[in-house]
Amino acid sequence: MSESRLAPCPYDPQLLDALGWFKSTFEPIPLLPHTIAENRAILAGITPCLAASLEGHDGVRSSERVAAGPRGEIALTVLEPADVSFTADLATHSAADPANRSSPAPANPATAAPAEARSAALREGDVAPGSGRAGVGQSPPRPAVLVIHGGGLVLGDRFFAAGEGIGLVERYGAVAVLVEYRLAPEFPGSAPVEDCYAALQWLAANAGELNVDPDRMVVSGFSAGGGLSAGVALMARDLGGPALAGQLLGCPMLDDRDESDSTRQYDGIGVWDRTNNRTAWDAVLGERPHRNVSRYAAPSRAADLSGLPPAFIDVGGAEVFRDEAVEYASRIWATGGSAELHVWDGGFHGFAGFAPQAQASLASAVATDSWWRRVLKLDGGKAA
Amino acid sequence: MSLQTQPPVPFDPQIQPVVDFMATQPPMSRESIAASRGVTASPFPSAEELVKGLPITITERVIPGPEGAPDLEITVLSPSDLGADERLPALYNIHGGGMVVGHRSWESGRLVDLMTRHRVVCVNVEYRLAPEDPFPAGAEDVYAGFVWTHANAAELCVDASKIVVMGGSAGGGFSAAIALMARDRRGPIMAGQLLLCPMIDNTGSTVSAQQYRGLGTWTREANDLSWACVLGEELAFSEDAPAYAAPSRADDLSGLPPAFIEVGAAETFRDEDVEYASRIWAVGGQAELHVWDGGCHGFDMYAPDAIITQAALDSRDSWLRRIFA
Repeated sequence: MSESRLAPCPYDPQLLDALGWFKSTFEPIPLLPHTIAENRAILAGITPCLAASLEGHDGVRSSERVAAGPRGEIALTVLEPADVSFTADLATHSAADPANRSSPAPANPATAAPAEARSAALREGDVAPGSGRAGVGQSPPRPAVLVIHGGGLVLGDRFFAAGEGIGLVERYGAVAVLVEYRLAPEFPGSAPVEDCYAALQWLAANAGELNVDPDRMVVSGFSAGGGLSAGVALMARDLGGPALAGQLLGCPMLDDRDESDSTRQYDGIGVWDRTNNRTAWDAVLGERPHRNVSRYAAPSRAADLSGLPPAFIDVGGAEVFRDEAVEYASRIWATGGSAELHVWDGGFHGFAGFAPQAQASLASAVATDSWWRRVLKLDGGKAA
Repeated sequence: MSLQTQPPVPFDPQIQPVVDFMATQPPMSRESIAASRGVTASPFPSAEELVKGLPITITERVIPGPEGAPDLEITVLSPSDLGADERLPALYNIHGGGMVVGHRSWESGRLVDLMTRHRVVCVNVEYRLAPEDPFPAGAEDVYAGFVWTHANAAELCVDASKIVVMGGSAGGGFSAAIALMARDRRGPIMAGQLLLCPMIDNTGSTVSAQQYRGLGTWTREANDLSWACVLGEELAFSEDAPAYAAPSRADDLSGLPPAFIEVGAAETFRDEDVEYASRIWAVGGQAELHVWDGGCHGFDMYAPDAIITQAALDSRDSWLRRIFA
């Protein structure tokens, strides 16, 4: 980069081990145009298959679905309570239990499966749609969450976000939909967010069959998934789409312009640094300066942030996305919109999911749980 | 686009009744200030009431004020079973009230609650109020009290390296100010600054300062009146106001102790507090920021049972555990 690096905010000492593990496990090589394929293989190799993610979560069942998208079929995995009468009031899991927090599950290399084995393993977790559904009609409608995985818009698949979806099912009795959106650079611009929006439309159209409460549908994701969630919320507003009850933007990737202080502070250090981020955005939007950028692809570009569903924005104080996340919240408030913002001192990108036992991560889990209970209108909002 | 036309961020449903009640109360005026001072005017339970049945000892003391200025009253809250050789972390609390009203006793609840969560000593300081004693009287008082607390840590059974300065509203502004003063004067090192909805920007130029005109538990009008009392008409809303009065005026926010900044999304101080955190980060400093959706000014004191209050207290606890670790 042309400007010199700004002095970064220090990392929380409790997070340093996890930062090193993240770096060596997920980012052993920087993301550059010619290393995207290699980075995809690395992430695929350490993303647990669905069956592995579901192990020990007997209360959750999965089914495979397909939505129609603007560029063809979109694979979806629906996660839901195995017991149709399950409601959040029966949940006994504590938000402070890291196994239940709403963030990307740390991939455990021991349970990870090679990419080619995952589709086969997936079938073990399948439940045929409609099976065991007796009594659905008598059960109260359930909240639903469209869960959008991270990976810089260029990496990852829907199973990367399985841990988040499982947590939402177990804690809130939610129906979680994991969406397989198309990735850049093969599908640039607004192609990824349009797939995610099509998944939301599918969810709304199937709310009756899934026994989903249409007034309690939320879109949620971390990193690229957070940016895509913001994009889906903008599309739903502008296109008169399904009403959303909330948008959870976890350390969200919102702004392609690369002009903030925080991007200059985390240039060549930490995880998901400035170089990775620039590579990813250039894969989505082409060479700089990016021209005719869709606000759905890069939500910070939206001129108007009014009329959006309540937002929950959570970000590390020591990462590239800090300033764009703070600015997005501030711009929502300026229009009279609802947003909650948490910036954790010394937190690296995605710290809460990768160092779940650290004090800051536990507190992030509690704050996140508090918001979910408010936005889903569960048991007076108190933690279980 | 006129700032005045911006609609406010809505209040949390559990907070709305507080705001509705506040709307029935007469607004603060120069004439009404005197009636909102002292122990007797407190709308909150006293320290004695709050510690009933709790192992907390309350000691009233008088300590020296700044040079040439009156002595300071402090209230010390300590665990009753404190061993003579024990050295605990300490919270040095500066009460709120726009720098013009209030009394330290009003915030006993906030401190007693923290003492049930952390084994700490609390020092709750009184200071001179404006307009009778405008800037720098209050700021110098609370700085002197902090220096005294640090110097007398052993006698208070306090670990001098673990003193966090804290306060809400004006007390948050004073806490930020004495962090700047301690840095600039090479005074005692503080372990952290816990800034709850701090009052730090005198200019009233932010969007949130426009959104809460005539609305909420601390209105734009009350805030303007307070700054006029503290700084006088000429400097009240000026960019040239001193940083120890309005910490947002500081040119340099580097070299400060770790900050915890908490504020409601539905209050006047939202934007100035977010900006303060952002400016600390921009120079590589340590700050944690929590902006609670729908929170009014001082929501934790006005709505102690609200869900966002409970969550906010958990966040404070987490930060204090990290700072005291």
